[in-house]
Amino acid sequence: MNLDELTLAGARRGDIRACEKIYRKFHKPAFTVAVRICNCRELAQEVTQEAFITAFKRMHQYRGESPFWGWLRRVIINHAISALRRLPRHDAVELEDHMATSKGDQDGMGHCMDLEHALQQLSDEDRLVIWLHDVEGYKHREIASMVGKTESYSKTRLNRARARLRTLISDDNQETSPDTALNAMNALA
Amino acid sequence: MNAHDQWKQNTSDPLGLSDLEAIEPGYDGWAQIESALHTHQANRRNWRRYGGWLAVAASLVLVISITLRNTENQIPTGVPSPEFATPGTNLASVTMQDNIIALIGLSQNMEEQVKKLRQETGSMPAESAIYVAELEDLIAQVDNELSLTPDSVDLWGQRVNLMLDLAQIYQQQWEIDYGRMASL
Repeated sequence: MNLDELTLAGARRGDIRACEKIYRKFHKPAFTVAVRICNCRELAQEVTQEAFITAFKRMHQYRGESPFWGWLRRVIINHAISALRRLPRHDAVELEDHMATSKGDQDGMGHCMDLEHALQQLSDEDRLVIWLHDVEGYKHREIASMVGKTESYSKTRLNRARARLRTLISDDNQETSPDTALNAMNALA
Repeated sequence: MNAHDQWKQNTSDPLGLSDLEAIEPGYDGWAQIESALHTHQANRRNWRRYGGWLAVAASLVLVISITLRNTENQIPTGVPSPEFATPGTNLASVTMQDNIIALIGLSQNMEEQVKKLRQETGSMPAESAIYVAELEDLIAQVDNELSLTPDSVDLWGQRVNLMLDLAQIYQQQWEIDYGRMASL
C-alpha cells in the first residue's frame, strides 16, 4: 500500500484533495484494524474518523522513513487503545457476519467464519494482543509499550488468546458438525 | 508462497488470522473529516493573527518579570552598580540578551519537564491527544520561525507559553493516571 510522494507532499502542506486521496486509499484497511481491535463497528467508525483527523493534522511528523501505512496504522491503533480504555467493560457490540458476501472455497470460508466468530469472543486485551502480534506483526516489546504493560504481559496474553481461540474454534466445529451431517443426509435423501 | 514464508506464517500467525478478509466500512466519513480539517486550518490562521498577540503579551509579562527579578538581584538598594557608570555600555541590548538567554533556559527546562511527564504518562484520551498534537504543531511552527530569527524575544516567549500548556496537559493526565493507580 504505497503512496506517491506528490500526494504525501500535498497532504503535508494541508491540501485537502491530497488528504481525501489518502482517506479513500486507506479507509478500508484503517477501519478493518479499528474493528478488529474495538470489536464494535460504531466505535471503530469513531476511532477511524478521529485517527484520520489526527494523522492529517500531524502529517508533518511523518518523515517518510517507513511506509506511510505503518505510520497511519500506528495512529489508528493508538486511538483504538484509547477508545477501549474509555469504554465501560463488556460494552462492545457484536460484529455482523462480514464474511457472508466473501468469495473463496467453502472450507476456507467456514474456517474464516469460525475464526471471525471466535475472535469476537475474546476479551478486549486478548484480542488486541493477538491481533497486533499475529496480524500486524508487532513485537512483544512494541505491544508492551503501546498498552503500557510489560513484555511478559504481552506474551502471556498472546498464549492465552491463541489457546482460547483454538478452544472456541473446536467448540464451534463440534456445535456445527451435527448440522453439517444432517444437511449431508438431507442432500443424499 | 514458498516453504519459508509458509513456515514463518505458521509460527507468527498459527491460526491464520491474517486470512480474515478486510471489513467494508459501509459509510463515507470524508465530509466530517474535511470539515474538521477546514476548522483546524481556520483556527491556525486565527491563531497566527490573534493568538500571536496574546502570546507576545504573555511573553512580555514574563520578560518584564524576569528583568525586574534580575534587576532586584543584581542591584542592591541604594548602591549604584558600577556597570551603569561604565561609558559605552548598551544597557538595552544587554537586558534583551539576558532576557533571551533566560527564555531559552526556561524553554529547555520546560522541554525536560515535558519529556519526563510524557514518559510517566500513559495513553491519553483522544481529545487530549488531539490538543497535544495541535500544541506540538504550533511549537514546530515557532521553531521554524526561530530558525530564521533566533534572537526574537517574542518567539521565545511564545515557545515557553506553548511548552507550559503542553506540560499542563501531561501533568493533568499524569494526575489522572496516578489517581487511578492510587484507587486500585
